[in-house]
Amino acid sequence: MQSFLLAVDRFSTWIGKTFAWCALLLTLLISWEVFSRYALNKPHAWVLDAQIMLYGTMFMTAGAYTLSKNGHVRGDVLYGFFRPRTQALVDLVLYIVFFLPGIVALTWAGWVYAGESLAIREQTFSAEPLPLYPFKFVIPLAGFTLLLQGLVEIIRCVRCIRDGAWPSREQDVEEVDVEKLKEMVHVKDEDIAALDRVVASKEAAR
Amino acid sequence: MIRRELWFGLSFMALIVIGAVAVLANAPTITNGHLGLLMLSLVVVAIMLGFPTAFTLMGMGMLFTWLAYDRDWHRTLDLMVQSAFKTMANDVLIAVPLFVFMGYLVERANLIESLFRSLHLALARLPGALAVATLVTCTIFATATGIVGAVVTLMGLLALPAMLRAGYSVPLAAGAITAGGCLGILIPPSVLLIVYGATAGVSVVQLYAGAFFPGLMLASLYVLYVIIVAWLKPQWAPPLPHAERVVPLPPLSQRLAESPAAHALVGLLKGRRNADVPFSHVLKQLGIVALPGVIFLLLAAFSYKAVTTVEAQARYEIEEIGSVRSSAPESGGLQEPPVEGGLQEPPQEGGLQEPPSEDAQPAAPAGASAQGSLAEPPGASAAPAAAGVAEPTAPAATEAATQRPAPTWWWVTFAVFGAIVTLFYLFLSFARLEIFKMLLASFFPLVLLILAVLGSIVLGLATPTEAAAMGALGGMLLAAAYRRLNLAVLKESVFLTAKTSAMVCWLFVGSAIFSAAFALLGGQALVEEWVLGMNLTKVEFLILSQVIIFLLGWPLEWTEIIVIFMPIFIPLLDNFGVDPLFFGLLVALNLQTAFLSPPVAMAAFYLKGVSPPHVTLNQIFLGMLPFMGIQVLAIVLLYMWPQIGLWLPQLLYK
Repeated sequence: MQSFLLAVDRFSTWIGKTFAWCALLLTLLISWEVFSRYALNKPHAWVLDAQIMLYGTMFMTAGAYTLSKNGHVRGDVLYGFFRPRTQALVDLVLYIVFFLPGIVALTWAGWVYAGESLAIREQTFSAEPLPLYPFKFVIPLAGFTLLLQGLVEIIRCVRCIRDGAWPSREQDVEEVDVEKLKEMVHVKDEDIAALDRVVASKEAAR
Repeated sequence: MIRRELWFGLSFMALIVIGAVAVLANAPTITNGHLGLLMLSLVVVAIMLGFPTAFTLMGMGMLFTWLAYDRDWHRTLDLMVQSAFKTMANDVLIAVPLFVFMGYLVERANLIESLFRSLHLALARLPGALAVATLVTCTIFATATGIVGAVVTLMGLLALPAMLRAGYSVPLAAGAITAGGCLGILIPPSVLLIVYGATAGVSVVQLYAGAFFPGLMLASLYVLYVIIVAWLKPQWAPPLPHAERVVPLPPLSQRLAESPAAHALVGLLKGRRNADVPFSHVLKQLGIVALPGVIFLLLAAFSYKAVTTVEAQARYEIEEIGSVRSSAPESGGLQEPPVEGGLQEPPQEGGLQEPPSEDAQPAAPAGASAQGSLAEPPGASAAPAAAGVAEPTAPAATEAATQRPAPTWWWVTFAVFGAIVTLFYLFLSFARLEIFKMLLASFFPLVLLILAVLGSIVLGLATPTEAAAMGALGGMLLAAAYRRLNLAVLKESVFLTAKTSAMVCWLFVGSAIFSAAFALLGGQALVEEWVLGMNLTKVEFLILSQVIIFLLGWPLEWTEIIVIFMPIFIPLLDNFGVDPLFFGLLVALNLQTAFLSPPVAMAAFYLKGVSPPHVTLNQIFLGMLPFMGIQVLAIVLLYMWPQIGLWLPQLLYK
């Protein structure tokens, strides 16, 4: 079971990380366009639409990736004080009450929406139009991966209620990775321990 | 056994539910509007329970939309997908991933260590030098990266040991680090302001222009506080011992200088004679020494030429827009502190350029920022201090030029900067030369990056999106210049960017449907009726709203507060004649306090995570309190003198 959970995690992560490169593309595309417009005096009408598409695709597909790493914003006032079993119970109920209906609806509606767009081969409203329907298919794609990831999270909740501890997740790059930051500025744990002695001796002196 | 915090939270939630039920029970008839209020109270409860907010909003919004549409599935689904697509195609939020990306790259360029060290040496003579250096480092680094957690952690690793070893009191040290680290969410380019702009429909450009001075004001108030404390209570922040202040000279310079305090210029000029130092080293040092003077002279020459030359075209353009921007006192200082730069202005398409609308496609040369020359708008002679509107001399515009004498303000600026440069050379010792070199490698690149990004946005040279992309590219180049850019770093930054953007933007997907439901149910009308029924004055309304936002800052994060509650507050502003831009600045300042208010202040926990065990959480909280007081003071100051925030946007865009 655990291997299945991790496999889905990896799938969501893979999708999210693949499309994450849109951030780099976006940076380069816009920088190139700025250069082309100001220096070469050759603006491109399609770039405006393309950058919106890159941005939308990136964050939508990263939704499941972020969920698999437990990275979505949550109110931490009470949650942090709950025991794991209580946390899992709250999560389980709310996954079923809010998450599933919402995401199922989004996926379904997105599929219909994108299908309609495909049927008319919808294009962006611009002098140099781009096809718009692939972008709209991002909604059902993001919805589907989120749904899959949500089901995995529900299983995790059930397992946590049974075992009293959260099943493990795979490590991923974190915004504040203390160990990495320590390495970056060349601070070792011994330095902090040495500093502690300084603080303690000062307190004793007072 | 249930802990106290749990009781507190649970009773808070119960109170909300009871309140909502009481309102419902007392209402003569239960309208849809009451359902909207019920939804709002339920969502606060659900968020406090700790479920990911984006999905809470989405699920609840969908259920209530369904109710509002008389249980019509089709329209509910349509609204749902429309609101998702609206967020995906949002041309304001697109700047979020780019600024976040820039932040991660700049953070990984790892300038903070040298930045702190050089600032600490440069400021060594001030009382509380280490704490001041900490604050300045935090301000610059937090502004460039915008990542509170990383800045506080890094400063906890670098500055806290330095301060504690120097005998600083623990609360003062902790307060300086936590308060400084949080400045990044206020001082533009910050993500908070983009999120507010996207929610409230206020131009991000104006928000950036408006938040710049309040942000600087807050940072200066912090620095002022630290200096005063260090002066009144030297035992809390003892001056640095002499050994700590010694600047190590490179061996070659050491041979040149009789002592580190010897005058560098003199030493270098006669250096060849008294030491066997390679000529190339002397030349290199001389080149660095000459740098500020050369830049000053170049700028002075260029601006003098532009000021005394009147081009037919320039005159025409300035008549059109000069009336707006003419009285620009000291805007030169905003641009680049060490150099005098006026406001840059692209040639020829001033009219097209000017509106703050982000869709405007400015067509100025991108490189124009480097060497703007100063041109005088007709109205500016009345305001002698005005730095005026600079104008790259358009190569095409070589129409008959007339000469005129340089205006007074030009001479004033010239004298001020000339005096600064002269002082720089008068007191330039070898030790100071080393400090200057360190600053050149850490302080100036970051400040230049920030000012280039901000300047191009605020002056309308680039949309926030374009500036953010250029900033991200600049961050990449910065990381590359410090040999930090490799595939691993790039991957980390890209993946973190995706996660952070997903976190922020999915919240928008959820809140779009949620606010739609709230509006459909007529909850907004009910709130408006209720607030208007209280007969508040403008001041009372502002105080009430800020207090509510402050209180919400305890259980909720700033993203949630802005995304959920701003759509409720913003429509009320009109009734009280409050400018949404001004309100946004107040909210941005206010949410700063949320980062520092115990017991949920994130900054404190980040600092505690890397501080020695004998530094207690209570000491950190104690240290944060005065800085929280300063934040409240800053809000009051901004309220009393709205011009602190509104002056720049009004000058540029009205």
